[in-house]
Amino acid sequence: MRLLVVEDDKDLARQLRGALADAGYAVDLAHDGEEGHFLGDTEPYDAVILDLGLPELDGITVLQRWRQDGRNMPVLILTARDRWSDKVSGIDAGADDYLSKPFHMEEMLARVRALLRRAAGHASNELQCGPLRLDIAAAKVSLDGLAISLTALEFRLLSYLMHHQGKVISRTELVEHLYEQDFDKDSNTIEVFIGRLRRKTQADLIETVRGLGYRLAAPDTIATDDN
Amino acid sequence: MTTRQRSLRLRLIAMAALWCAIALAAAWALLSALFADQVRRGFDGNLAAQLDGVIAASEWQEASGPALRRPLPDPRFQQPLSGWYWQISAAEGPLLRSRSLWDGALPMAENSGSNGGITYQDIAGPNGARLRLAARRLTLTGVEGTVLFQLAGDSAAGMADIARFDRLLAVALVILGLGLIGAMVLVVQVGLRPLSRIGQALGDIRAGRADRLQGAFPSEIQPLADEIDTLLDHQAAVIGRARAHAGDLAHALKTPLAVLANEAERDKSALAAQVRERVMEMRGQVDRHLSRARTAAAAGILGARCDVAPVLEDLIRVLGRLHRDRDITIDTIGLDLTKPAPAFAGEREDLQEMLGNLLENACQWASSRVTARVETGENSLLFTIADDGPGLPPEQRQVVMARGARLDESKPGSGLGLAIVADMAELYQGDLNLSNSELGGLSARLKLPLAH
Repeated sequence: MRLLVVEDDKDLARQLRGALADAGYAVDLAHDGEEGHFLGDTEPYDAVILDLGLPELDGITVLQRWRQDGRNMPVLILTARDRWSDKVSGIDAGADDYLSKPFHMEEMLARVRALLRRAAGHASNELQCGPLRLDIAAAKVSLDGLAISLTALEFRLLSYLMHHQGKVISRTELVEHLYEQDFDKDSNTIEVFIGRLRRKTQADLIETVRGLGYRLAAPDTIATDDN
Repeated sequence: MTTRQRSLRLRLIAMAALWCAIALAAAWALLSALFADQVRRGFDGNLAAQLDGVIAASEWQEASGPALRRPLPDPRFQQPLSGWYWQISAAEGPLLRSRSLWDGALPMAENSGSNGGITYQDIAGPNGARLRLAARRLTLTGVEGTVLFQLAGDSAAGMADIARFDRLLAVALVILGLGLIGAMVLVVQVGLRPLSRIGQALGDIRAGRADRLQGAFPSEIQPLADEIDTLLDHQAAVIGRARAHAGDLAHALKTPLAVLANEAERDKSALAAQVRERVMEMRGQVDRHLSRARTAAAAGILGARCDVAPVLEDLIRVLGRLHRDRDITIDTIGLDLTKPAPAFAGEREDLQEMLGNLLENACQWASSRVTARVETGENSLLFTIADDGPGLPPEQRQVVMARGARLDESKPGSGLGLAIVADMAELYQGDLNLSNSELGGLSARLKLPLAH
């Protein structure tokens, strides 16, 4: 899961990045409206955390432009301007949630999880695929009830696959959603991570669809759908 | 100075009426006196001519005294008690008199007709009629002493003329006076119309139908109108600046507070715990005082008005989106589309803030249902926001409104929402009351001024 944080206060941006990275997300930072708009417009983020009072281009305008261009990733507005008139204009511009500063990091993380879950169409904080369980809030994965330990990138990869289980996901899409912007992207590394994940989970859960990409699906798909 | 000045119009009209009455009364008195004098002079002239006729027609006979050489042409001297009499007397008494006197006589005043001139006096006649008496005393050759010639005429007709003239004059002057007052009323109305227009325009501004006086006024009051418009502009600018400053201050304070809070959250020391606690407290104070500052600048200003319906619609749409993961329905009651929508006499942002905080609070605690009821009183708007949540025991209600104590740390927000609403309502001379709702949870009743 790859997120964009647009926040002009460098300290706060650093804190947000730290907290989000600890929770297992790939995070890009933008410090002004122009940069934020450009990144959101060109990179496929799973969610955006957007400040409203930004230099160059204010947050509402950034959001409106994204929505006009058909960018429909979930957006959490994080702002000091917490009058209801600001909230109304923020939500009407296309935001999905609104959080006022100062805030509790836990609260922010919960909101982000809810946005990602909703965007993927899941109702609970626990995703399941056959014997595999992902607790999004705790960032923990278990197989048949036993916790398995994953590196940050492995976790991101599995989390993305579980959010989009049943769908074929290309290597390029995985690269775009797993790595931060300035990371040296090499789609061959994905194969390595998929291999490690297969070893740590059940090999048959992640299926390679030749020429297209990968698909995570429980052996018994009907049972999965019942969840 | 009385506390309630009479209307300018009434004052002008009363003064005009008083002046008219005095002037016309004086005119009446003068004209009446002139006319009476004229009538009297005419009558006296007539008497003198008649008296000269008597003198010319009379002769003195040695034996019998005065006698008429020829009868007088006026038949009224022959008709008894006709009111017209003459009499010729010597020192010892009347010697000859008109037939009309019958057996009466005209009184002989001592000093009447002295030195040959004519004197006039008013006397009572034989039958009580008011008479005007002309007398002339002459010395005749061959007659010892002076001979007194007197002639009296009934002045009733003249008096009647004068009375009739007075009446007609009075009627004419009263009509003239009423006409003048009517004209004055018209002049005052037309002259003061610009003032009434200013009054109406101010009323429109107060009711929120206009935001400027607008229009051209006569040069005497144009400066006043311009000054009022300038004041309104200035007021709007001051409020705008106050709101912008408050917003900037909030922004400038809250981002650093967020940084502090987040740093403190990562640290588990006692100092960090205290920083966390204090930061949240500061956030509450910033929220509360800035909202007070913003509202205080705007509460009770001239011409503020905002329709309730769109504000509620906006808030319900936004809250529906923010709480879409939960199964909560928000209903409005009392916004009847057939009736003109009620309006709040204040700033839109403030109404949005108060209702937003109440609805947000209700949504946070509700298990499935929130209702927003709108009612209008004579001069007030009454909102009742109710939820079906756990409610609030009576002893905690005052605490929540007064200090904004957070009763549940697990819910987001500063916990000052209700206290802020209570503060703002108070600045608008309204109030906030908490009670149990029919739905089972908390019911917040917010009273605010209604815009007409």
